[in-house]
Amino acid sequence: MKLKKLLASAFCGALLIPAATMADVLEVTLHYAGPESGSAWKGVQQGVDEANLQGQFLGQNYQIQVVNPDDIDSIEDITVLLMATDEETMLNIAQHERLSNVAVFNLTSGSDALREACQPNLLSTIVSDSMKQDALAQWQERNPDTPVSAQAWHEDFEKFAARQLNNRFSRAHGVPMDDEAWAGWAASKMVTDSIARTQNLDSSDMLTYLKTEIAFDGQKGDGMTFRENGQLRQIILLIDEANEIVAEAPLRGVSGGLDSLGQNNSCQ
Amino acid sequence: MKLRHLLASSMIMLSTAVWADPTYRLFASNERDNTVSVIDTRTGEVEATIDIGQRPRGIGLSPDQSTLYVAISDDNAIATVDVKTLEVGPRLVSGDDPEAFDVAPNGNIYLSNEDDATASVIDVVNNEIIAIIPVGIEPEGVAVSPDGSIAAVTSESSNMVHIIETEGHTVIANILVGARPRGLAFNSDGSLLYSTSEISNEVQIIDTSSYSIIKRVSLDSIENSRPMEIAVSPDDNIIYVTTGRGNSVAVMDANTLDLLDNIPVGNRVWGLTLSRDGSTLYTANGVSGTVSVVDTQARKELKQIEVGAFPWGVTLDD
Repeated sequence: MKLKKLLASAFCGALLIPAATMADVLEVTLHYAGPESGSAWKGVQQGVDEANLQGQFLGQNYQIQVVNPDDIDSIEDITVLLMATDEETMLNIAQHERLSNVAVFNLTSGSDALREACQPNLLSTIVSDSMKQDALAQWQERNPDTPVSAQAWHEDFEKFAARQLNNRFSRAHGVPMDDEAWAGWAASKMVTDSIARTQNLDSSDMLTYLKTEIAFDGQKGDGMTFRENGQLRQIILLIDEANEIVAEAPLRGVSGGLDSLGQNNSCQ
Repeated sequence: MKLRHLLASSMIMLSTAVWADPTYRLFASNERDNTVSVIDTRTGEVEATIDIGQRPRGIGLSPDQSTLYVAISDDNAIATVDVKTLEVGPRLVSGDDPEAFDVAPNGNIYLSNEDDATASVIDVVNNEIIAIIPVGIEPEGVAVSPDGSIAAVTSESSNMVHIIETEGHTVIANILVGARPRGLAFNSDGSLLYSTSEISNEVQIIDTSSYSIIKRVSLDSIENSRPMEIAVSPDDNIIYVTTGRGNSVAVMDANTLDLLDNIPVGNRVWGLTLSRDGSTLYTANGVSGTVSVVDTQARKELKQIEVGAFPWGVTLDD
């Protein structure tokens, strides 16, 4: 009962009392390489802000540390690295000896070569170019006269509580959420969700957890998982020339489900 | 009726409440056409359709069952309807974007404000918000314990069940549950709290003395299951869980969470309510646009009744 009372008083006006007053706050740093502007950065910030709201209740405090890819040797403790750089830098960093057991997130590159590299610690929350191409092909086969474009996210997407995510992102950042913003949000959200559950900052355990345990609630439907090649499985939205969402791929009746989109190469 | 009078007289706290004869009306909130369908459960017919306001979702009755409350999310208000006359009454305040709610024994409404990451407490008599409680992101399900001492709220995107003590309206516990928690229900003495998680496809039992999860099971055996709302049988032995796009009601042992049966109902089933005697279950089937009537003894759907567009929730005056 005493603990309960203590907690009760600590949460009296939870927003007013800094989390630091709680006895056992877990301090967490997420590392990020890339521009401190633009969509992916905003998405990462959104994810971390949401994690800190959760952390006020559960006892975690998150911050983002921006790093230069050239200084990777000087980082002391690292749990994950979020990257919004060019694809070559991403692959080089992911292959860096020091980071071989650290999850390196690709937030911005659609490169198919990056997936085909089968780099075991490289995880892509952004969709690949071939996922979009396959989504378009599924559409064109059924609707040859209606041109569409393929996107991972759209500001008018409402299903699966996407509406709520769109609302809070645009409220916080003054711009609509786009593909890279979603990829940044998703990476930081899945990492912080995992930390809230495991209370474990060990990078190797985190990498294993992300690749084998998560069924991430990305507000895009079912629990999301990674392919062997590190690509996050997800639906693709098809957008017509009036900027309206006309369908979600995989289209109904296509076999293979989410794996009908993009490469699903084995990495054995 | 006799049981009801007995209950009323034994519950001294309801000193001024006079139990009216029930109307046996079932009310369904139709999210997409801004109406409430009124079904006479004795005939199984829709007897009225009420224009209620923008995006009706959460639905429930006052403790004396004389007033229907409907959260009209896009009007940022609670609509009221006289259960007997079906006349629409004055609206109540709700804060922004009210979604689900529960009515405490003292008549206060506890509701989730989905876009604001808060829960609000509405004093119905004075039509004022008497507390705003910060919770996690996308608060959803709300349940008040039978004795009114605590309220529980889920936060869908923050994956928590928050416990609020209702005297001071402070959060006293936060329980990390499976991804995208949705519905909540207490057993009759408030010792157990049931919760569902849509994305992790789980049902959990929370012990309300320790505020810890004592049992969790997956509904993986039900195709496309996304557990949503929960109802507890009057004898506390069975829980009924709607499975969303699983298009069914899972019948589970309330102690072991063993899956006893799975009853197919309409498509994308969300809200549900049990008759007072536990013999009949009603579900709101969003995509089908129907309310299912289920015989809980036979564990069979008896019929589907057409209502409005995308019914969200149901409540029964019996």
